[in-house]
Amino acid sequence: MLNNEKIRLMTRMASFDEVEGKRDIAVNGYFRGDYICFQVVMSAIYGTIAFAVVVALYLLYNLESFLADFYKMDLMAFAKDWLTRYFIVLLIYLVISYFVYAFRFSRSKRRIRAYQQQLKQLHQIYEEENERRR
Amino acid sequence: MTNLLVIKEQIIKFYARFEIYITPVLKFLVMLASLIAINANIGYMSRLKNPAIVLIIALLCSFLPINVGIILAAFVIVLHMYALSMPAAAVVGLVFLILFVLYFRFTPKEAIAVLLMPLCFALKIPYLVPLAIGFVGGPLSCISVACGTIAYYIIHNVKASSEQMTGAEGVDKALSSFKLVIDMLLKNKTMILFAVTFCITAVVVYLIRRLKVNYSWYIALGFGSVINIMILLIGSMTMDADVSVIGVIFGTIISAGLVFVLQFFIHNLDYSRTEYVQFEDDDYYYYVKAIPKITMEAPQNKVRRINPQQPAGKRREYYTDE
Repeated sequence: MLNNEKIRLMTRMASFDEVEGKRDIAVNGYFRGDYICFQVVMSAIYGTIAFAVVVALYLLYNLESFLADFYKMDLMAFAKDWLTRYFIVLLIYLVISYFVYAFRFSRSKRRIRAYQQQLKQLHQIYEEENERRR
Repeated sequence: MTNLLVIKEQIIKFYARFEIYITPVLKFLVMLASLIAINANIGYMSRLKNPAIVLIIALLCSFLPINVGIILAAFVIVLHMYALSMPAAAVVGLVFLILFVLYFRFTPKEAIAVLLMPLCFALKIPYLVPLAIGFVGGPLSCISVACGTIAYYIIHNVKASSEQMTGAEGVDKALSSFKLVIDMLLKNKTMILFAVTFCITAVVVYLIRRLKVNYSWYIALGFGSVINIMILLIGSMTMDADVSVIGVIFGTIISAGLVFVLQFFIHNLDYSRTEYVQFEDDDYYYYVKAIPKITMEAPQNKVRRINPQQPAGKRREYYTDE
């Protein structure tokens, strides 16, 4: 016999599973610290790529003056200057991504908790069904 | 008001029922409009202007995620740039790379804003996108609005200075056109002003509409529009940017009006779509199609029947609208 209540519950859970669920369950596999740490490291990689592109564009833009002054300029100071900029930009970017991913983690945790609640209900329904069969 | 609510429910009902067809058609139309606009403005590669290719790309995008559409649109822009001059393509490609790195990291879901922004710029109502995204998106949605603004100005500026870039031969000429494109981007105060203003507007609208006060949506819309006009006007004066005062004021008013209409359809809209799910238990396989319930039904036609010649003994009945 079909159990309508069970079908409703399972449908709701299956539709969650298909959309947000996949991501949320993946997120739920991490501890909070690990998840945020991983995402911040990924942000650092992306940020570094973006910064490298900006530096490449800058160098190409100033190619003529850069080549002309190459032997005269203080390369250490130049590198130090750009490294400082890199670290400042990266720091701002990482702080933002820390907050974004901390928020996303807590949000998906909340959804997973609701999902677990539904799992419990489903388990209860199964037990009731089994008892009835016996 | 009730009539409007009924229309709203009917639209939702219609959308919920035919969502599986409507979404690809909408994606196709947005993509088609974007490609036509790109080709009309910077169509330097004649092969890409072929209607068959445009149609194929748009059709492809109707079935693929909208983010793929954005990447394809960016690719088309870079190819057009390549036909114009190689350095321009390099700069534009690298700028798109930076935008994608920023954008895909945080707001991959709001791809549509990136495509709609240049289209709304072309229609002279770019203010629509930040106001609307403030209502539907989160605080980070401002990134996609800024990306869309920059994408529009890249196209716009290359079109304006295409003559200086054509026929780039030799290293010197290549370097100079390279410089020209970067100058165009960095020294374009109008672009920076618009991008910053739209970011602020989107965040302000988002913050106010989340407030737990009555009419927060209307306050957000009004305040967002005023902030938008104020920043653009003050910015255009202090930064010496190319902004038309009348255009800003009327454009914002029209956009606010459009958002007001949109707002009616999205406000309190806990829209659940038709779901097709499959699962199984010990006894059955289930293939479920779950259709969302619609809360408000269209009222039945009112029939009030007063019939004096009823047979005696039978109680006279009045049918009212309830």
